[in-house]
Order: sequence, then C-alpha cells, then structure tokens
Amino acid sequence: MARAQVESAAAGHGAEPRGKRTEDGQATYLIAIAEALWEEMERDERVFLLGEDIGVYGGAFKVTEGFIERFGPERVMDTPIAEETIVGLALGAAMEGFRPVAEFQYADFMSSGFDEITTALARYHYRSGVPIPVVLRGPSGGGVRASSFHSFNPEPLFAHTPGLKVICPAFPSDAKGLLKSAIRDDNPCVFLEHKWIYRRIKEPVPEDPDFLVPIGTAKVQREGSDVTIVTYGMMVHQALEAAEDLEHKGISVEIVDLRTITPLDKQTILSSVAKTSRALVLYESHRFLGVGAEVGAVIAEEGFEHLDAPVVRLAPPNVPVPFSPVLEDAYLPQVADIEAAVEKLAAW
Amino acid sequence: MVTSTPERARTPDADWRVGLSDDQLRELLHLLKLCRYFDERMEALYRQGRLPGAIYSGRGQEGTHVGVAYALRPEDSLFPTHRDLSAQLTKGLDLKRVMAQYWGRIDGYTRGRDGNSHIGDWFGHRTWTVMSHLPIAYPVACGAALAYKLRGEPRVAMGICGDGATSNGRWHEALNVSAIHQLPVVWVVNNNQYAYSTPNPLEFRVPTIAERAAAYGMPGVRVDAQDVLDVYRVAREAVERARGGGGPTLIECVSLRWRGHAGHDPAKYVPRELLERYMREKDPVARFAGLLVERGVIDEEEVKRVQERVESEFDEGYRFAQASPFPVPEDVTKGLFTDDGYWASEPSREGGTG
Repeated sequence: MARAQVESAAAGHGAEPRGKRTEDGQATYLIAIAEALWEEMERDERVFLLGEDIGVYGGAFKVTEGFIERFGPERVMDTPIAEETIVGLALGAAMEGFRPVAEFQYADFMSSGFDEITTALARYHYRSGVPIPVVLRGPSGGGVRASSFHSFNPEPLFAHTPGLKVICPAFPSDAKGLLKSAIRDDNPCVFLEHKWIYRRIKEPVPEDPDFLVPIGTAKVQREGSDVTIVTYGMMVHQALEAAEDLEHKGISVEIVDLRTITPLDKQTILSSVAKTSRALVLYESHRFLGVGAEVGAVIAEEGFEHLDAPVVRLAPPNVPVPFSPVLEDAYLPQVADIEAAVEKLAAW
Repeated sequence: MVTSTPERARTPDADWRVGLSDDQLRELLHLLKLCRYFDERMEALYRQGRLPGAIYSGRGQEGTHVGVAYALRPEDSLFPTHRDLSAQLTKGLDLKRVMAQYWGRIDGYTRGRDGNSHIGDWFGHRTWTVMSHLPIAYPVACGAALAYKLRGEPRVAMGICGDGATSNGRWHEALNVSAIHQLPVVWVVNNNQYAYSTPNPLEFRVPTIAERAAAYGMPGVRVDAQDVLDVYRVAREAVERARGGGGPTLIECVSLRWRGHAGHDPAKYVPRELLERYMREKDPVARFAGLLVERGVIDEEEVKRVQERVESEFDEGYRFAQASPFPVPEDVTKGLFTDDGYWASEPSREGGTG
C-alpha cells in the first residue's frame, strides 16, 4: 500500500527523483526512509513533517517528494531558514500532543539549532515529566566530496547530551524500522541518515506497516571469530568490504553494527568481544573523544578479561572534513586502512 | 505601534476597571501582594543563608507579570523566564509546591531536579519549566501555538522574556515565524531597562522594542507597567485577537528591575535617583491598592487583611517545603526518558518512586 503510494508520489518531481523499488522488492535507503515517514503519517494523524524546502520541492534529497500532494501543507510544513525555531516548533507541538518529524537539510545544520536541541529538547523531560515525541532527521556523513559543511557527523555531540536517543542506521531495512520506532517513541530522537548510503545501498525491505527495529539494539552484520569490528553508518559497508578481503587472507572478522549510539547496546559488543578477544572500533566521526572512546572504555571496563590485545580505534583525525578527493580520502578510514588495522590486531 | 499610558486609559469617562468585577479586582490585589511578599521574604531568607541556590527578583515588575498572565485562560499556555514567577503564580501554581522546589524537595514541580524559579507545571497549569538560555522558550511557544492552530482549538500561547533576550537571534526567528503562520501567540517583553547590568541603549538602537513589531508584520504595543489594569487590558486585547485567529502581537511592558539580576548582585549600575523615583511613584502594588481604596472597592482595613493573608500563605508554604522529603539519591538517573516510568508514578512520602 505505502509502497505503491510512495512510488506514485515519486514520479515527476525534481531534477533527481527519489526513485522506485526494484521489481524484486529491493529499496534504497532513501526510499526506505520515505516509506517509513509515509506509513507513519498514514497511521497516525499526529505525525507531521516540518523543515526547509520539504513541501513542493520535496526536500534537498527528495525524501519527501510527493508528500505535500498527499498530506497537504499543514502536515508537510515548509519553514524559513530558522533552525532554532524548527526545533522549538517541534518541541512545542510535541508538548501539545503532536509527533513532529523535523528535517534538517543537512545534519551539519543541526548546529544552527544546537541550543534548542541540547538544552530545550534534551533536558525538558527530566525536569518536567512531559513526554517529548520528536524526531530530528537529516543526512550526515562524508565520502561524497561535499566538503566541510555538508559532510559532518554530529552523533558524538548528541550522544554526549543526556536526553537524546541517537540513531545511525547503515541499511535500508534498519533505516525504515528504526525511523518508524523513533516516530512512535515518546522521547526525542536524533535520526542521522547517511547521504553516501542514500542511493548506493539497496536490499529487500519489509513492507509490513508494523515492521519495527527496536531502538538501542546492535546487530551482528557478519559473524567471525578472530577480530570484532564495532562500527556504524557508512563504515559498516567499508568494514564488510574489508572483511571479504581479510577472509581470503585467513582472518575471520565479526562486524557489530551499533545502529543506535544511545542507548548503546553494550551486551552485543561484549558478547562479540568475548568470542573474538580482539576489537577494532571503526567510526566516521572524529577520533578524539568520539564514539570509539566510549565503546573502547566499555570493553576495557567490562570485557577486560576477554581481551588478547588492546582495543584499537580507527577514525578520522581531529580536523574539519576537507574537500579535495585526495584529502578527503586521507581523512576517512579506507578499506585498506581497516584491513591493515585488523591484520595488526590479529597478529597481536 | 501603539503606546498605552495609564493617563489615557483613566480618563473620567473610561471604564477604569477595564471590565473586571470587584471580586476580580480583589483577586488581582491578592496576587500582587502575594508576589511582592514572596519576593521580599525569599530574598531575606537567601541573605540569611537559609535558602539554597539562587533567587531572581521580579520586584517592581509585578504589574507586568500579573497583568499579562491574568489575561490567559486555564487552557492557554505560558512560556515565562526565571524573572516571571509572579506570572506563574497568577496562572495558578501552588505556592507550597513552588517553595518545595526552592528547597530541592520531592514535592517541587521538578521533583528537585531544578531549583528557584526554574519551574513550571505543564500538566496542571500549562506553564513551561523555565530554562536559562533566553529566549529559549520563544520558539517552543510557536510550537504550542502551531498545535492549537492545526487542531482549530481556541487556545493561545504566551511567551515572556526580558529586554535582554530581544538581542538574541531566536527572538527574531520566533516573531517572524509566528507572523508568517499567523500563530495564536502573544509575545511579552518585560522591559525592566537592564539586561543584567547592560542598559537599553547598549541593547538596541531603536527607541522602543514595541516598534520592532512592524518589521515582522504584527501589532506592537508599549505599555507602562506601573498600572496592572492597563497591562491587563492590552494583554487581553492581544490574547483575544490571537484566539480569534488574528495572529500574534508584541507587547512591551516598561518597568524597572528594583533588585539585582540575581540575589548576589547589588545593582549599583542602576542610578539611585531612577530607582528611587520608580519605587516612590511607580510601585505597581501600592498604586493598585491605592486605586481600589480611592474607588471605594475596598478600604484600608481590607488591604491589611489581604496582607495578613499573604503572610500566612507564605508561612504555610514555608512549613510545607521544610516538611517535604528530599528525592532519594537512587533516583538521580531515573526519568531521563519515559521508558522507566519515573514520571508516571507518584513519589512516595520517603521521596522515592520504587
């Protein structure tokens, strides 16, 4: 049902339309996200969308293409370029019983609404008991030559803020199931899509309108026995590629896809490390004080007895994301870097 | 922009009581006196070292706080600042629970998670739990007003901030968005002439804050807040216009902050003669009591009885706060999210939620 509507709504708008599922039911990450929004708006009239250029234009990445024709301008609300107020609108409407989903054109621009996110949105429930069913979503991450202001990974900033659930899916099905869970959650969720994944990764995606992926659960994307790679987002795909190569070299890699940063699924991480005794934490946000620092500390504190080698981090250096392809490739962990790090760990 | 002055509103033929009954006028006097007395006594306790945390006096600005909040219905929402406790009391907050909050007790509206006037009661009286980053609640008031508009409910949101917060970008964002979408919201600026120590001329170049309304396409009114009835009349017009679908209004209420920004601040930057003139000639509490006596609504004896009543209410609140349990330390991590149900259960008399 939703599939047919999302697909028909996708036709005829914009220079770069969202596209359709393949005939055998595979959907891109972009389509999966659109389906999640569409299904939840059909299911619950309290859900509405707001953001910049999401109405007639359909959003910078065409996630909401065709939505305004179906749901109207009140439920697909174009806002001025006023990020603090976009967050405030969502928060205030949620306090009055709506379930808003605010789109940020790029996750980079969440910093323009930072105070409303980290002070107002995140801290309101703890001090008042008022449920805050708000989702903030937007494309994060690099690898598409978009330079410093369109490639950021803000997840550590929000994961460090008590009161926000931070979600970073790597696959279309997880994106759909997690976004639907976030919309149904009574707490503020920061849903960080990855623009590199949007159109590159497709897979069969469930069409059941009640298909959900629980927030706060990691997933083992590949089983292995020698080294665990704990990662999320685009780096899951780099890790999978590296694991294929390493298999040929006789190293068996297990890949834990966090899927959500907060709440952090410690159990899945620790279970994997108990099996492999070696852990590489691979992530796209800055290495310093990043997700890897927390994951590494959890393993050191709670899984020390399992370790045969130090926990290793592989992540970008502490500089802004650069533009030149040469520089961006040097900045982002590459498949070869992952393989080298895993080989070193395996040989420890 | 319209400038409203008490002189204009109090011409002999004008309705001096702006449509309020004797009982409503008495209620206003009680609120004004309660807010004034609370403010004075809490400062005394603070200076004696008997009150933890901080205090943010709203003294001298009761005309603003009581006047604007009195124009709201129970179902309307209020988004105030730490300076505006009097507006929250006018909206109906329970003084006993307010005082429990000041002493960090479980019966405070935030269950000890915040102190002083960083308070609110969304479930009961539809007031925002105050945050310091002003005007952080202005965009949120837009969201509440959007909800009323989307549902077609005849409700209004009111945001209050000080002159200081009008320099922040969010203030402009929120006014702009509220006008674009004709949201049912009323913007109140409590211009007490100082942003902490910074005077109006170092905050904005235009002569008044109210005239900025024209830039967003909404009416702007400037009112002398020494007169609670004039403030109320202006606020009521704005609230009812918003309720009727007429969009937002900006109201600038001019007063003077009699005390420092917070309890520790002696406010020596306020010229003594200016302060003395305001305290002598523009005291909104004394003026209103005098007006009611002059008009024969009450006599001096009744003014005394109102004062005795607020003193006894304060004492009752103080005793309640001291007897209220502290929250239990084990609960410090609870209630960050809805998932653990902390806020859905009532605290026990031992302060915990089990």
